[in-house]
Amino acid sequence: MRRFLFTIGHKTLSAINQMGDMTIMLISAFSWAFIPPMRIRNIFKQMEFIGVKSIFIVILTGLFTGGVLALQSYYAFRKFGGESLLGATVALSMTRELGPVLTALMVTGRAGSAIAAELGTMRVTEQIDALAVMAINPVKYLVVPRIIAGILVVPILTVIDDFVGIVGGYIVGVWLLKINPGIFMAKMIEMVELSDIFNGLFKSVCFGLLLTLIGCYKGYHTRGGAEGVGRATTEAVVVSSVSILVGDYILTSLLF
Amino acid sequence: MIKLVDLHKSFNNLKVLDGINLEINKGEIIVIIGRSGGGKSVLLKHIIGLIRPDAGHVFIDDIDITRLKEKDIYKIRRRFGMLFQDAALFDSMTVGQNIAFPLAEHTDLSKREIAEIVAGKLADVGLSGIEDKYPSELSGGMKKRVGLARAIALDPEIILFDEPTTGLDPIMTAAIDELILGIQRRLNLTCVVISHDIQSTFKIANKIAMLYEGKITETGDPESFRNSENPIVQGFLQGIPEDKIISS
Repeated sequence: MRRFLFTIGHKTLSAINQMGDMTIMLISAFSWAFIPPMRIRNIFKQMEFIGVKSIFIVILTGLFTGGVLALQSYYAFRKFGGESLLGATVALSMTRELGPVLTALMVTGRAGSAIAAELGTMRVTEQIDALAVMAINPVKYLVVPRIIAGILVVPILTVIDDFVGIVGGYIVGVWLLKINPGIFMAKMIEMVELSDIFNGLFKSVCFGLLLTLIGCYKGYHTRGGAEGVGRATTEAVVVSSVSILVGDYILTSLLF
Repeated sequence: MIKLVDLHKSFNNLKVLDGINLEINKGEIIVIIGRSGGGKSVLLKHIIGLIRPDAGHVFIDDIDITRLKEKDIYKIRRRFGMLFQDAALFDSMTVGQNIAFPLAEHTDLSKREIAEIVAGKLADVGLSGIEDKYPSELSGGMKKRVGLARAIALDPEIILFDEPTTGLDPIMTAAIDELILGIQRRLNLTCVVISHDIQSTFKIANKIAMLYEGKITETGDPESFRNSENPIVQGFLQGIPEDKIISS
């Protein structure tokens, strides 16, 4: 029993410690972000890596999520003759929840893990120390461009995901399930408010920050060779994913 | 010009440095020897401010860097170069970009001027014309030489070497030793080398210090070290395991 309590206490303390360290990293990154040189080229490089190279996977996710959402909702709505609400349901679900969350999860899997692995490898091969020795702040050089890129591109990817999801819903609803396209579009336009889209995008900004910060933090503090890099990568994905889902609940309860 | 005063450092209750006192003069090559995992790298990282001590001071020309803010330490670091154990080259950059990196960051030189310096530094380490290769295409010895070229790119006053000959064949070891000696003489650098390679140590050192159980157990010139009556020193030089030294 004592050992059980000890383990719980130890894990809790370690989690709180990590949150504190992460906050310190975020504050440090924020303060370095405004000190020249701005390293625009580095930011663009990270935007390409996190954003452009994730477009395909985001489109794929959006298309099938929108499609299956239309399919499932159709069978439920048919029971009480509410098929006309299909367009609105797909669009609201995509813009408010599924777009931001699924995009963030996909980017975490693709780019968050890669950030942790890259920084982790740089840590264990002393490349991060080499930067510091050359009088270049590693947080400014490595962490700041990734966080800025994450904050900028995840919302853009979310917009793409929202749009493609609605297209997926349209394809399934109108082409396969033969819902009237006019009703599909009209109900969607009637029920989706601009605030739904903006709140979803606000979430995606937060998720972009979370997934890059956690990826950077886990990579930056990697210990113990190749095994350590593997562990850091896994932890980055798990912690980011859970944080995104928990964060989503908190943001939803605050925003809507 | 470098002075370590009563330096203490522990990691997770394990004492790594337990009161280090050491003076390193300008223009000398000091080799710090000691067994693997004995805290030599930790000591080196204290000199350049990568690790802060639990207690004690590190003076670089009378400036106590343990009391400096992060930003001020960066100014001091520009006087340093460091060759890491596995060279720590940036693997996303070519050899040329690696050496150019500190120049591009800290000087206003044009691209052409930087390229000339890069070519010069590569010639200094005997590797002309490999600017466009990536670190993954180089052998261990070549990586170390490129690492050295990068370390001297900004013409530092002090260079730190973290086990420069570990993992190299005897011929490459001799080449690196010659390189360290040559560069030190030509640029009148202060070199701090950590090593457990006895042969190299006696070849390059002006002064040797031995780190044992977190303390500097002996310092002196190579001759006095060879004739030392300290059983720990003799045991290390002759490769006798510690338990046998203690029992004898």
